[in-house]
Amino acid sequence: MIFVEAGQRSLRSFDSQLIFAEQLNARGFNACIGSEYLPENAGRGRIYEAAKFLVDQEEYQASTVFILGAEEIDDLLLSSLRQKKLALETPVIATGRFKSQQNYVGAKARLAYALGREANVIDLTEMQPRSILPTAASPLVAELGQGPRPIRQKTAVTVVLGSIELDTTDTLSCLARMSNQSAYTLRIIVSGAQNEAIKASPFSDLPTLLYTDLSPHSLAGSTDILAMFGTGVAGVRMATLAVELIAAGGVAIDCTEDEALMSAGAPALLGPKSLFAFDGYLTGKVLGHRAMIAQQASKSPWLQTVDIARLEAAAGLSAPAHKTAPSGRQTLFLPTNGVGLGHAQRCTIIAKALPQRSKPIFAAFPSCVPLVRREGIDCIPLVARASAEDHINANDILTYRRLSAALNTADTFVFDGGYVFDSVYRVIQECRLSAVWLRRGLWPKGRSRPAMLRREGIFDRVIVPSEAFDELNDAYSYGDHVHYVGPIVRQVDQSKSEREALRERLADRFGRDFKHLVVSMLGGGVASDRSAQLQALSGMFEKRTDCLHLVVTWPGSVVHPSAFGWTNTRVVHTLEATSLGLAADLVVSAAGYNSVLEILYHQLPAILIPQSAPYLDDQERRARALADRDLCAIVTERELMKLERTVSDCLDHGETEVYQAALQTIELPKTGAEQAARLIAEVGGNHG
Amino acid sequence: MSLSLSVADLTLPKIAYVVEPRFSGGTSSAVAQELRVAAQFGQLSVHAVTSKTFGKKQLVAPSLRRVLDELHIPLIWDAPRISADFVILHNPSFLKFQDELPTKIFARELIVVTHENFLRPGGEEGFDVANCLNQIEAASLALKKTLAPISGHNRKTVTDWLDRSCAAKHWQVLKADWFNICDFELTEPSNQPSDRRGRHSRPGFEKFPTLIDLDHCFSPQAQENVILGADSLLEAGFQRPHWTLLPFDAISVSDFFEMIDFYVYFTAPTWQESFGRVIAEAIAAGKVVLTDANTGQAFGDAVVKCKPGEVDEIVARFVAQPDSYQNQVRKAQQMLAEYSSQKFEAMISGVLSSRSEVQP
Repeated sequence: MIFVEAGQRSLRSFDSQLIFAEQLNARGFNACIGSEYLPENAGRGRIYEAAKFLVDQEEYQASTVFILGAEEIDDLLLSSLRQKKLALETPVIATGRFKSQQNYVGAKARLAYALGREANVIDLTEMQPRSILPTAASPLVAELGQGPRPIRQKTAVTVVLGSIELDTTDTLSCLARMSNQSAYTLRIIVSGAQNEAIKASPFSDLPTLLYTDLSPHSLAGSTDILAMFGTGVAGVRMATLAVELIAAGGVAIDCTEDEALMSAGAPALLGPKSLFAFDGYLTGKVLGHRAMIAQQASKSPWLQTVDIARLEAAAGLSAPAHKTAPSGRQTLFLPTNGVGLGHAQRCTIIAKALPQRSKPIFAAFPSCVPLVRREGIDCIPLVARASAEDHINANDILTYRRLSAALNTADTFVFDGGYVFDSVYRVIQECRLSAVWLRRGLWPKGRSRPAMLRREGIFDRVIVPSEAFDELNDAYSYGDHVHYVGPIVRQVDQSKSEREALRERLADRFGRDFKHLVVSMLGGGVASDRSAQLQALSGMFEKRTDCLHLVVTWPGSVVHPSAFGWTNTRVVHTLEATSLGLAADLVVSAAGYNSVLEILYHQLPAILIPQSAPYLDDQERRARALADRDLCAIVTERELMKLERTVSDCLDHGETEVYQAALQTIELPKTGAEQAARLIAEVGGNHG
Repeated sequence: MSLSLSVADLTLPKIAYVVEPRFSGGTSSAVAQELRVAAQFGQLSVHAVTSKTFGKKQLVAPSLRRVLDELHIPLIWDAPRISADFVILHNPSFLKFQDELPTKIFARELIVVTHENFLRPGGEEGFDVANCLNQIEAASLALKKTLAPISGHNRKTVTDWLDRSCAAKHWQVLKADWFNICDFELTEPSNQPSDRRGRHSRPGFEKFPTLIDLDHCFSPQAQENVILGADSLLEAGFQRPHWTLLPFDAISVSDFFEMIDFYVYFTAPTWQESFGRVIAEAIAAGKVVLTDANTGQAFGDAVVKCKPGEVDEIVARFVAQPDSYQNQVRKAQQMLAEYSSQKFEAMISGVLSSRSEVQP
């Protein structure tokens, strides 16, 4: 384990530690950072980035200690080194940009005092006489690309605004025009202040990224052309981005006022200093000549100054072989939202339709794990947020760590959920995965469409499972990457005799005969509290001695205590809710995507009680679409008093027969699981 | 300018001291002690030079201030030029963070007293020596330029450095050691010593051994383990239940010596005292000093030379034999006479007297 330390503890030096640790890991080393280095004001992006490197120092033995920024060493580092009690044979390497010989001698001496022996101190000014960021604690090195960089279908252009002030809308409108260019995809890296200005402007949908949203390594991997504006290089992250990109054979355009890249000798193009002239320059002079530009840049002697292999050699680190990805590509499904059962069920249906070579695997919350595993698919358990007092991103950081550990480049990642979490956003780009977003529609009113679609660009494909009725299929984004497939529904066959046998088993199990079997499936997730409806239903059925009322929930769901203690109402935890629905005379259900499709495709007479919550889909609209076609009854949250009469209409006045008749005649679209599976397999190269 | 010069004034050589008066430790104390002696040999002037090492504030170390007041010698700050028969520049390392010594020096002989070792154990440079000496060279015109080491070990680091240096061949090295005067008041040793150990030093990391050695030196076996100047240990939250850790200025040195019978002093193995003034202070205070062979080099048998792992046993032996303890302290205190003012006077007279001529 290589401990990456820093001469001083600050946000800036922590960035350098993160950058270098990631570079070492990418080279096959096992690098880490002591958790005491994590700054209090690290911010969300850095915490995600740091999660994979932070360790409690006392729990690990250092095989090597690598100190960055040795030109300024504080006592905290020296104390930490002293306390490590390193073995004599443990190498200690330090890098710094020393302004004078005394600076070098002093640093070497201070380290020697704390260690009780000499460290290998490397003066970076010898290796890099002209650094693009002389104040960086990071060595600003990178792995040199081997041969030409693969050409992406659409050139990815990243623009770093640097110190540009966004005080006029002209600049933003210029960027907006560029973001709509079809010749390239644009990504703009901005500071927090610039981001605020953009969000408050009419151009709030510009594709922006903060400096810490992704690591420089990941940014370089997803960039073909980098343009830097403003004065100087905007910090160590952007300096590393430039170095990594150029080293990997990408194109850097120096649009800075002081020609910061060019003056350091970097093989960059000298671009226009004004954003207004940039698009013309890019399309006219660069896009068509990328390969030639990169080829010329690859001959620059400057590349040797940033070659990480040289630093490794000077440090005496022998590069281990790169980690080899396991053979065969896997397709990992991540169903999420709430307890996530509906999403998980939909994903299992698609996963089972995938070709065998796609190797489906799931990562899901604990409540979903049995559901997935009983389908014969392996599942990595994730950790749900335990309490509101947890760090707001704590469980997502854990998800990120588990996904990062499970996935390799060339794997396919399928995300089924509404909001694209940071874990998903990061892991797709960091592992350079083929990615598919299974995105259900019917978003509720008031949900910010730009916010939901902001991260769509990281997915190769968006697959939208359709609703049963056209008027419910809203389109939220357009393009060749968006694919609509038929409704995805789990279909269960149940013969008449099986139905009768099940009813008999239920009568036997609960020790009572019944004439009517009513199944309530109002959901047990975190979406909304259903206790009032359950209380009303249970009370109502208590008066009906000929009824058995089953409150059906997924295993692991929380059921309100008010559902227990009734004579005619029983709680059933099962994964076979559909079978119970098929055996029932009446189903009382929420109007979620899966439930409604199961009602439709299994022709179940039902009362729908739509749920509403800001992060749920528009269940009332979906339920209304069925009710308008006389396919079910509907009782909205505001109409609870209507519930008893509606149940009576169904059980006592033949309403269920009306619904069943309508259900038998309605024409439903072809289901879409196989089409979705095919689309996913194509993305991962597992088709055909 | 006064014209009332006596005959003696006209015959005595002019001696100019050049110091960075803000050195807080041994350098200022040593200069203060020797000014009293040097004043007998000529017309004395003392020049203060501000350096980047200590910033712009014109402060003076208290020990130096006291002697200057006592001798009625004004401190001249940052003179553009210094002319004297002998110019004695103390501790050139104060120039290490700058490129130029702005003061010009004209002298028959320029003596640079090398308080800091040029090399660390293992041979690495202690500071950027060439830069410091080059600044002095560039700013001075002298018939003779001499480096004056302060101890045998300090001498070795100077000569070793000169041997491998290409640029400083014309510096001569004084044959005698320009040692620290140790005219401390002597305290009688305890007749009932107990296992009360301690050390004091500036809090720098170089002054402390590895934690493993520190644990050996100050073990749970001791009744007291007092570490004065433990600022870095305190800041790092490093503590042992059997240690008393005190910041550098928490108590006076005399109060500290009241708390101990054994002065146990080990430093980082990558650093070594050039003289070891703290050791002389401890001996004078009537304590048995335990230290490593290199650090104790300048004090011969006056210190008990050992390894950290041997400290427990040696201390136990002295505690069991109070006579032996007292004999050791008395023997050590006699040895301090080697570093008396009289001895220094004899040494310096050989340098500053008329017999000291510039070699052809």
